[in-house]
Amino acid sequence: MKLLLITLSLLLSSLASAQAQSMAGTGSLYRALGENAGITRLMDDFVNRVIRDERISGHFKKTKPQLLKDSLSAQICQLSGGPCQYKGPDMKSAHADMDIRKSEFNALVEDLQAAMDTKGISFADQNRLLAILAPMHRDVMAKD
Amino acid sequence: MKRIFPLAVLPGLLLAAGQAQADTGKLLLTGGVSSITGAAGGGLTPWAVIGTNATEDETGFSSYLTRVATQDYSLNSYGAAIGLNDRVELSLARQDLDASPTLALNGVAAFGITPGQHVQMDVLGAKLKLAGDAVLDSDSWMPQIAVGLEYKQVRPGSLQSVFDFLGVRNSGTDVYVSVTKLLLDKGLLLNATLRSTNANQNGLLGFGGNSPANSSRSLQSEFSAAYLLRRNLAIGAEYRNKPNNLEALGASAGLADGLHEDSWKDLFVAWAPNKNLSLTLAYVDLGQILPGVTAGRKQTGYYLSGQVAF
Repeated sequence: MKLLLITLSLLLSSLASAQAQSMAGTGSLYRALGENAGITRLMDDFVNRVIRDERISGHFKKTKPQLLKDSLSAQICQLSGGPCQYKGPDMKSAHADMDIRKSEFNALVEDLQAAMDTKGISFADQNRLLAILAPMHRDVMAKD
Repeated sequence: MKRIFPLAVLPGLLLAAGQAQADTGKLLLTGGVSSITGAAGGGLTPWAVIGTNATEDETGFSSYLTRVATQDYSLNSYGAAIGLNDRVELSLARQDLDASPTLALNGVAAFGITPGQHVQMDVLGAKLKLAGDAVLDSDSWMPQIAVGLEYKQVRPGSLQSVFDFLGVRNSGTDVYVSVTKLLLDKGLLLNATLRSTNANQNGLLGFGGNSPANSSRSLQSEFSAAYLLRRNLAIGAEYRNKPNNLEALGASAGLADGLHEDSWKDLFVAWAPNKNLSLTLAYVDLGQILPGVTAGRKQTGYYLSGQVAF
């Protein structure tokens, strides 16, 4: 049963990711997030929460907040179908040797959800963004 | 099997553990609620999610209290669970059924049933996550998959004479596999469970039975769907198929369809006012339960449950 499900998921994941790409490609999520200005405000709020969040702030002690905000804004812009090109490090390199725990990943998600709540992004649009970001957990928490 | 660890001690343990584990890290509602047999999932059926608020590298605890009431029956259920590393779930639950309608069976034969008889059942559950992440694998169709078992021991009191007459056993073990998937971009959770069981009415009417009852195990399918309206509010439905082992036995004993058993269904709303508390209210349709003594009435009513989780 497990082998069947894995095979099925491999066949269908290309379908699903193609669909996700095309959804992002229409730019509707980019617009729902408020385009560049909205995403910038969102990442500003998000990073401020994260560096104050006792559960995970330890990982950000050496981070320059504005650099992180700019980097995230470019990524979110691109991922949500906006006209940006993120040129920074990939998720795996960016988080290598940080030993990120699942609870810390989830804490970060909660901070993002709180930031999106504050910026008035609808629950449905929040979930669309999270659905694009969630698979990154594999690279963020990669143990080599 | 000797009497299971007294449940009264568990709330104290949970409070103590709660202090230590207040920072456990699942996202809201992703541990499901406590089903009536103690396993995490929906109200009526287990899901592949591992319960409590513990995520990987953590240990979590949860406990619940549930009441179900229909036209002729009421059931109280309570229990507790431990979640280990988001991989293993161990649970202990008790069901206490007010089986007063069974008094009428004294008219069928000299069973010696006491008025207001309760049937109690203890359930020891274990669940193991095999693969997948129901929430975060949003770029594939791969669900979270878990296998589990529920060892059930039933104490029917004066209804033991009826159990003996039917040839049903007082204990049995259900084994199941569940697949759960949250379609994150749609906020829709889907679950399918396949259960191998010979339990009658979940075990409250014993296990197996004399021929022509179906004494051997059968595979029963169970389905849930839940839609997130908000991060802390979900609505959904469940459908649980049941073996209906005893109807043939009842018919051969001249009881017509008096022992018929139906599938269980519900429509529910679950609300989590904070990370540690969830409340579930459901409309349940449990179909006929011993229609022979309840004039064939369909048992419908409410299900109300509260869960505390760390």
